[in-house]
Amino acid sequence: MAPKLESPNPPHADLPPSGIASVDPLFHILKVLPFAFLRLLRLHLKLPTLTLPSPMTVYALVLLTYFMVVSGIVYNVIVEPPGIGSTQDPHTGSVRPIVFMPGRVNSQYIIKGLSSGFMFVLGSVGIVLMDLTLDRNRAKSVKTFFVIAGISAVVLAYVMSMLFIRIKIPAYLS
Amino acid sequence: MVGKSEPINGTAKSQPPPSPLSPKSPDLLSGYFSFKSLKLKTKQQELLIRVSILCLVYILAFVTRLFSVLRYESMIHEFDPYFNYRTTLFLTEKGFYEFWNWFDSESWYPLGRIIGGTLYPGLMVTAALLYWGLRFLRFAVHIREVCVLTAPFFASNTTILAYFFGKEIWDTGAGLVAAALIAICPGYISRSVAGSYDNEGVAIFALLLTFYLFVKAVNTGSLSWGLASAFGYFYMVSAWGGYVFIINLVPLYVLVLLITGRYSMRLYVAYNCMYILGMLLAMQIRFVGFQHVQSGEHMAAMGVFFLMQVFYLLDWLKHLLSDTKLFQAFLRMTVTSAVGVGAVALGVGTASGYISPWTGRFYSLLDPTYAKDHIPIIASVSEHQPTAWSSFMFDFQILLFLFPAGLYFCFKRLSDATIFIVMYGLTSMYFAGVMVRLILVATPAVCLISAIAVSATIKNLTLLLRAKTKAPQSASGKGGSSGKAASKGSLDQSQPFQKNGAIALLFGAFYLLSKYVTHCTWVTSEAYSSPSIVLAARGAHGNRVIFDDYREAYFWLRQNTPPDAKVMSWWDYGYQITAMGNRTVIVDNNTWNNTHIATVGRAMSSYEDEAYEIMRSLDVDYVLVVFGGVTGYSSDDINKFLWMVRIGGGVFPVIKEPDYLVNGEYRVDKGAAPKMLNCLM
Repeated sequence: MAPKLESPNPPHADLPPSGIASVDPLFHILKVLPFAFLRLLRLHLKLPTLTLPSPMTVYALVLLTYFMVVSGIVYNVIVEPPGIGSTQDPHTGSVRPIVFMPGRVNSQYIIKGLSSGFMFVLGSVGIVLMDLTLDRNRAKSVKTFFVIAGISAVVLAYVMSMLFIRIKIPAYLS
Repeated sequence: MVGKSEPINGTAKSQPPPSPLSPKSPDLLSGYFSFKSLKLKTKQQELLIRVSILCLVYILAFVTRLFSVLRYESMIHEFDPYFNYRTTLFLTEKGFYEFWNWFDSESWYPLGRIIGGTLYPGLMVTAALLYWGLRFLRFAVHIREVCVLTAPFFASNTTILAYFFGKEIWDTGAGLVAAALIAICPGYISRSVAGSYDNEGVAIFALLLTFYLFVKAVNTGSLSWGLASAFGYFYMVSAWGGYVFIINLVPLYVLVLLITGRYSMRLYVAYNCMYILGMLLAMQIRFVGFQHVQSGEHMAAMGVFFLMQVFYLLDWLKHLLSDTKLFQAFLRMTVTSAVGVGAVALGVGTASGYISPWTGRFYSLLDPTYAKDHIPIIASVSEHQPTAWSSFMFDFQILLFLFPAGLYFCFKRLSDATIFIVMYGLTSMYFAGVMVRLILVATPAVCLISAIAVSATIKNLTLLLRAKTKAPQSASGKGGSSGKAASKGSLDQSQPFQKNGAIALLFGAFYLLSKYVTHCTWVTSEAYSSPSIVLAARGAHGNRVIFDDYREAYFWLRQNTPPDAKVMSWWDYGYQITAMGNRTVIVDNNTWNNTHIATVGRAMSSYEDEAYEIMRSLDVDYVLVVFGGVTGYSSDDINKFLWMVRIGGGVFPVIKEPDYLVNGEYRVDKGAAPKMLNCLM
């Protein structure tokens, strides 16, 4: 990029360093046509330097994308299910919400998908927290907090996911 | 080395009961000699444990896929495998040259189909080779048995391959866990159960083989591994249309390595060898033809190939030049001009039509809404629907937790190989979210990365267990981080608590893994072992009724109709009619001619006199429809009827979908629309 900025010389600027007139025809044309009345600003433009993000930043982005994919965002966009289902209570006539779409295995309501995705991410964050306790040189209280938070996250996520799938597929013997 | 035997032991505990060998062998051994008197060194003990685990996993992967063979009989399932079976039969009877040049006039009447040029021969050739091999050893097997058991055999091979791949990426512990996980993962079992004689059974093995050989080539930089990966790629191209995934993932991986500054001579050698040789070999398959240089889907690989040459040139010039500033200027100009020339060439190629654009099937992966609006055939297949959370949970269970944790471990220890597995995992998970069928492609990546998480976590816990109160200079753990020594020192204060906690956590991990095994076995036995051609239902008294109507119908056709009769049915049943009924059909599952299918759809949904005209023009003698009203079978032709209307209406605007609906609702009883009541269906 550096050579390109130098070629259209402003009309009041220096001649080429060798002291003789340039033989470049383009230079002469440009000297006359736009730059007889346009004046070049002395700007110091730099291309923004792109630095690669740290691995953990990328990992955070990846976790976010994983959450969206596993919650079934593509299913939501294409099939457009309602946020939550509803049925009429046969006796009272009031409308009751249904969270799990019954019928096929491959179907969901939006909110259900998001909460399941959250459970999966919670479980994996728990495992990551457990690993963080062993690795870094932190204060002891922080480490105990990480351990307890990690274990409880994994247990909670696992129990909730089992509960979800048991409700979704009534014949789930496990 | 000592630390490694514990996680391997831990994995052995989570194996399910069908392993009658292991209780017997210690008894036998202790009968003759004990381990102590045998004086096995630790290395040999470790080798013995590893080999025995791999043998058990191999047998397990084969055995768990045999549910339907034990319940019903050894037969081919579903629709597509019947075509594969018919072509394999032809191959073993007539030989390879007849097979390669086969023109089939029994399907797609009156057009016929060039079978030699429109299929992926890898699966058929593999099964035929196995059959000829067994015959050579004088085992008198029938080709059907070989076809039925090909998929479980290759699933077992995939587990061994997963072990080597895990060893390449992380260490042997991760490899063993990966082999165990992939042996029973429901996402893989769904398409490789015994009887599912389909391309994917072999293709996943070929996919993992290509990836393993390529990663090995990048790690070692040797030409022989690059050559092997080219041949692995050739096998993948011959096996499945999903090779497009490989030819796009590998250039993307190379690009990411280049961006993160990991260009090296090893990468150059590996990629060039694989690309050039792989491309030349792939062009030998007639179905693929010249797509590697003509189709838009393969252009990424070519672009990255040229970029690699540019990088090599720049590296060489850097080596020659001594002036860094001059080199920087030259670098900028070269990269800009190279990218510019590439863009111009791509533009010219696309505009002139030489480079064809992305086909609908693959474009709908990038833009999922495309198929819904434009191509109803692709949108109608139930396997192509996008994935909901419950399908993910059904197929992966705890692997969904372990996958991001494994990604974390990979990001902590970045190397060429871990970057590859991360990219494979992320891209395949995205595609698995777009289409249910592609959960299969994501399964090896998810299993490998989860194995890394399991292995690393268990290793942490067992190191905690083994942490003795010595001077903390034993940095024999993971990564050798200096903080570890200090943290070990601080751990010594609450020593017993840590030990108990670690033991409890280890039990928790084993419990989770055993729940995974139970889930996988349940899913396999309940959901993925049904041959769709034989159906089971609950009778009126709750007893299990098995009805074999499909096969009985096809045999009726075979025995009671003249040999040159032509049968018209919806395209789902085409393959089965030609394979079992041995009659000519009008349309079948290949769905390569949309207009022909639309003609059949139009005939099914027009009034009877119009339909008669259409059927006379096609020389139809018999019409086959599937009706499930008597038994409560729900995926019959009445249910699929609206798709016939949509597809027919896509080509012939005479057929309009609202004609068949009452108030926007699809009814088939007395209150149905008049057009619905009077049409052929």
